[in-house]
Amino acid sequence: MSLFWIVIRQLAEIEAMATSKKVITKEEWEKKLNDVKIMKEDMNKLVMNFLVTEGYVDAAEKFRMESGTEHIDLATITDRMAVKKAVQCGNVEDAIEKVNDLNPEILDTNPQLFFHLQQQRLIELIRNGKVEEALEFAQEELAPRGEENQSFLEELERTVSLLAFEDVSNCPVGELLDISQRLKTASEVNAAILTSQSHEKDPKLPSLLKMLIWAQNQLDEKAAYPHINDLSTATLEDPAI
Amino acid sequence: MTNHSSANSDSNGTNIHNQDLGWYFLELARLGASRATHLEDTEEQLPSELNTINSSGGFQLVSTDKLSVKYTSVNRHGHDVGVVQANNPAPVKRLVYYFEIFVKDAGAKGQIAIGFTIGTFKMRRQPGWEANSCGYHGDDGMLYCGQGKGETFGPTYTANDIVGAGINYASQEFFFTKNGAVVGAVYKDVKGPLFPTIAVHSPNEEVQVNFGQKPFAFDVKDFEKQERMKQQATIEKISLPPNVSYGIVRSYLLFYGYEDTLNSFDVASKTTVPPVYMAQENGFNEQDIVYALNQRKTLRKLIKSGEIDSALGKLHDWYPQIVQDDKSATCFLLHCQKFIELVRVGALEEAVKYGRIELAKFFGLTGFEDLVQDCVALLAYEQPQESSVGYLLEESQREVVADTVNAMILSTNPNLKDSHACLQSCLERLLRQLTACCLERRSLNGDQGEAFHLHRELDISKN
Repeated sequence: MSLFWIVIRQLAEIEAMATSKKVITKEEWEKKLNDVKIMKEDMNKLVMNFLVTEGYVDAAEKFRMESGTEHIDLATITDRMAVKKAVQCGNVEDAIEKVNDLNPEILDTNPQLFFHLQQQRLIELIRNGKVEEALEFAQEELAPRGEENQSFLEELERTVSLLAFEDVSNCPVGELLDISQRLKTASEVNAAILTSQSHEKDPKLPSLLKMLIWAQNQLDEKAAYPHINDLSTATLEDPAI
Repeated sequence: MTNHSSANSDSNGTNIHNQDLGWYFLELARLGASRATHLEDTEEQLPSELNTINSSGGFQLVSTDKLSVKYTSVNRHGHDVGVVQANNPAPVKRLVYYFEIFVKDAGAKGQIAIGFTIGTFKMRRQPGWEANSCGYHGDDGMLYCGQGKGETFGPTYTANDIVGAGINYASQEFFFTKNGAVVGAVYKDVKGPLFPTIAVHSPNEEVQVNFGQKPFAFDVKDFEKQERMKQQATIEKISLPPNVSYGIVRSYLLFYGYEDTLNSFDVASKTTVPPVYMAQENGFNEQDIVYALNQRKTLRKLIKSGEIDSALGKLHDWYPQIVQDDKSATCFLLHCQKFIELVRVGALEEAVKYGRIELAKFFGLTGFEDLVQDCVALLAYEQPQESSVGYLLEESQREVVADTVNAMILSTNPNLKDSHACLQSCLERLLRQLTACCLERRSLNGDQGEAFHLHRELDISKN
């Protein structure tokens, strides 16, 4: 070991003593690193989780084939997209069926969402001029909900009032027929599905990277040891003096 | 680790280098054997009942199930408290420890206490009245932390109340609950193994204790969850350089040769994320990685489908230097895997023949013998997958061999700056650093608190 490194080490130890921190040399630290057991499977799962939650569906499928890593939720992303699309196109019945296939609890535990979906169904019936069907639907499916809940009732009345107007595009509740109403409902459904699969919402990898930064900061209070300062290269740097 | 130079007659630097690299994977190859145990923290003995041996005197009676205590005598002074500790100290390698008491009978004066004491506590005093102890007392609702004088803390408690005491290792606090709600917390500056402690002091006081055998009145799991979320919230506030996760994932795919995934990933990200230029990656430049990429992908595919002969063939064609030394770790792993594949399809005679030719020479060689013995042991079982060496038949075993070959090919790059860069992807190095930091911090903290386990993190997210 050259004189230079001997001096560096001594300086580090003096600094550490002043703050009573434990000094861990690069060799000691590398030994600790080597003792850690990281399984390839777990790293694959982490990468798959990233691909799926960030929406790289094709890459995720390729990764499944190349690495053999399963991801049960691959289908649910496509399913969730299908539900969203169905609502955006006005096929609400289809969307409801799909949501229930995905997870029947979503609508059971979300009365407001369910009401909004039914309301959208009513809007579509009205849009397509199916007046009788619309009235029947409103009376049988929506009115009972309206009785339970004041705001539902108000919404129901607003929607039904569409029928009272000849020129719906100019009436006070005309916005209900707008595409934005469909998009609003579609968003609501999307969010509810994501929440029900709450572990899928965000990828794990960024959290782990943040945890690394945090863990190094925490350990800094008690020890001087090699850090990784550049996450993209993960090179180990000697203990700072 | 000694360098096996027996077959390294041509002592050119690259060959010895490669030998060292292959050895790295030898250890990984046997990881499957001990997988079940390597994840768990060494099991700590949990408090499960009351300790009847270090009893303080005849003024208390502990039931035969050792889960309740009654004051049977008449108290005369402050040194005849019926104190009982648990049989084991509170475990430390976790986020929170907690236990509860149910006050069956408050007796004459309701002088009941719950808390924690060290092993050498004077067993005639209320917890909290002596140094190195802490107790929440039912008669005055005060908290005593090592002095005769208590501080106002919470409500009093009496018959039919359920009172709990816990240690929060994350915040380093003692906390107490009454009937399912937190009463308060206090900083824990007592060191050393702490025993759950209960005490009764006036005639006919009777208390039952619950060390977790029955459900608690207080939702400890939720409390833990809240603590974890607090920590998570602090962590989430940390900002990362832009696109760093994207870059790490991309370099992972490049490193291990997942070519198809990488191409799909690149295509998709052109429409979303701005492409990240990965010039200096693991000591390579882009050109070289792309060149070796297709071959590494091909070899991984062959090995993962068990076609070892084809893999060996390709290696002889493309990278003869890797398979030149038949006693190298790489060749050894490939031969073992071929043997395993023969066993897998039930071609036992062929396996034996193969073993005689290719594996026999490894018996008795340090570093190789454990794995070769395990391989051969496969032959002894009718259902080898159920045996203790069944791990060899798992996918993960093929994965190790594929990763070995991958690393060896990467190491043949003449532009390689650091040969050890072939062993671990960037992601792996980051995860190791994370785990090591957490473990070191916990160790410097008296081993208290949760450790970081990637495996557990991923499982939690799947729930």
